[in-house]
Amino acid sequence: MYQYTSFDRQFVKQRAAQYRDQLERNLAGTLGDDEFRPLRLQNGWYVQRHAPMLRVAVPYGDLTSHQIRTFARVAREFDRGYAHLTTRQNVQFNWIPLDRSADVMDVLADADLHGIQTSGNCIRNTTTDCFAGIAPDEIVDPRPYCEVLRQWSTLHPEFAFLPRKFKIAVSGAEEDRAATAWHDIGLQLLKNDAGEVGFKVLVGGGMGRTPVVGTVIREFLPWQQILVFIEAIVRVYNRHGRRDNMYKARIKILVKAEGPKFIADVEKEFKDILEHDVDGNAHLIPQAELDRVARSFVLPEGVTACPSTFNVPDDAPVAFKRWVERNVHAHKLSGYRAVTLSLKRAGQAPGDATDAQFDQAADLADRFSHGEIRVSHDQNFVLPWVREDELFALWEAAKTASFASPNIGLLTDMINCPGGDFCALANARSIPIAAAIADRFADLDELYDIGDIDLHMSGCINSCGHHHSGHIGILGVDKDGKEWYQVSLGGSDGSRLSGDATPGKVIGPSFAADEVPDVIEAVIETYRHQRAANELFIDTVKRVGLDAFKSAANAARRSTAKAA
Amino acid sequence: MKFIDTHHDQWHTITGEDGPMVTLTPAPYSLLTLTQWHAIRAQWPANLPVGVSFNNDEEIETLKADLPRLSLVALHFPKWVDGRAYSQARILRSRYRFTGEIRATGEVLVDMMPLLKRTGFDAAVLRADQDRTAAERALTFFAGHYQGDVEDNHPIFARSSA
Repeated sequence: MYQYTSFDRQFVKQRAAQYRDQLERNLAGTLGDDEFRPLRLQNGWYVQRHAPMLRVAVPYGDLTSHQIRTFARVAREFDRGYAHLTTRQNVQFNWIPLDRSADVMDVLADADLHGIQTSGNCIRNTTTDCFAGIAPDEIVDPRPYCEVLRQWSTLHPEFAFLPRKFKIAVSGAEEDRAATAWHDIGLQLLKNDAGEVGFKVLVGGGMGRTPVVGTVIREFLPWQQILVFIEAIVRVYNRHGRRDNMYKARIKILVKAEGPKFIADVEKEFKDILEHDVDGNAHLIPQAELDRVARSFVLPEGVTACPSTFNVPDDAPVAFKRWVERNVHAHKLSGYRAVTLSLKRAGQAPGDATDAQFDQAADLADRFSHGEIRVSHDQNFVLPWVREDELFALWEAAKTASFASPNIGLLTDMINCPGGDFCALANARSIPIAAAIADRFADLDELYDIGDIDLHMSGCINSCGHHHSGHIGILGVDKDGKEWYQVSLGGSDGSRLSGDATPGKVIGPSFAADEVPDVIEAVIETYRHQRAANELFIDTVKRVGLDAFKSAANAARRSTAKAA
Repeated sequence: MKFIDTHHDQWHTITGEDGPMVTLTPAPYSLLTLTQWHAIRAQWPANLPVGVSFNNDEEIETLKADLPRLSLVALHFPKWVDGRAYSQARILRSRYRFTGEIRATGEVLVDMMPLLKRTGFDAAVLRADQDRTAAERALTFFAGHYQGDVEDNHPIFARSSA
């Protein structure tokens, strides 16, 4: 894991002090609410339906057990005893009074945590593969590059007030587990024929009202140049992105509107920086700096390859076998596995954990994973350094902490935003719908029979629940002050299983809340009738088309039967 | 950062009853609109201090050839959350080596100070309700930054003290 330097540590404390000054001016009335808003947003403080929401940055999803315990403490002492993991690998709190926000920032800073740029129209937290550094299919470990990007983008003075938010994701493996094509900038690490490391650079992906998949603007950019190239992209965007309409302000709209001219502008800006600016090459990354950062990402002390002898005994409990099948993942180091702690279980909102569960996760990380834990894009925890011979003990401990639902990649492992229960932006609630679907598909045999499937749900068009990229997407919409749900099929996050990144297609008018579980069931039943041997849901949808699914979904309508 | 007191500023705009005057006589420390400057630049005497107010939706490149003649470029923030002028200032300093004054005008708030300073502004006209002491304090919170900026072109990894 990255080790904070004294500079890093001092920096987050200075940020906390700056925030306290701003908060005090706001409370004293000399900084108005409207003008305080963008400042608190850039520290992660939204004002939500019931109270402020705090989004804490988890750079590229990597945490220590100490940091997890700090989350537990914040949840316990400042919030109502729970917090939420997001699709961008961050952690959110829902109930902290704003007048205690500066105190929370101090507590977080003591654990090297902060909310810098987790909201606002700036460069957000860089995300990556939750199996970075441990995946067998990894080409280049993305973590050192993510850290260099974190540093470069942190309080960049020129790019704090962009037209709109700006998200970067990095992937370094054969499989794209970071949904890079759906980001404002998607970076894919690769090696050229000479074995040199570089980035395939995509720009202009994004969800929201107009889902767009990123455009490749460089097939191979030498890694040394990445900061300069991103500076060029963001500067072109800062200068020319639309600011007259917030729904057309993301970089995807600029890329679509300008096409090849956008790419030419970026390339010219890139050249201008290197050739004409004072010390224009100062941000080329030297090998020594990459090496320095990379030294933080070596194997934890005591982790060494050992012979892989793991076999699930025939007489092992069925539940353990299932857990190994779904929640245990291959590791590039012989004798080790990565394990997902599922935060998708009955009775709790997807991605939520209580303070006690945070503490338990920290204990599991200490006992089984050298104190390291990751937040996954799918809103689960991942333990990256588990010895094969400790899997059974981990399973038993994870069960006690309610982390052992053997459902990773299955229907109930759904991506879900907090929705209208918490979020002031949401048009509709997502948590009760998720709960109703989880209830409907509580039978594990059935879940296993349905197999790998991405169900993504957002409470509004801002798409925090990534409904566009779900094999099944559910979107909350508001009509006449009531909650309705649009269902789409065939979306992809860009993984091999799902195919090239693409938004799903809506299968008809919105459904009423109480129809949604039936609709999902009808869609799933259609798949089970239509599928070829061993065919996954997404492949059946692609092969047979939407019509069969549409009719089945329409047959499940009750209150909306007329409208359809 | 120089905080401009508009009541005691040597620079003045040339405004008629219907907005900026198009016909004007060169006078020292005139702060002109781009249109005014374009109308008179051919006749503007050398060594007579002149400045230009520049909108944030105009291409800063258009000013390049004139920069050696300008003592001041005022960059405008129509809304404080509109960050285009930061890029304009950065290009003026880093790309065109402009050494005159770069002044922030418009909706200029206390908490913009660190960004202004780091992108090349050296003067600011605070919005009337803003507190100068708070603005000065806003410049004191950070001892250093990660990335290079106009004050120090080098990022932390390329600084000798890092």
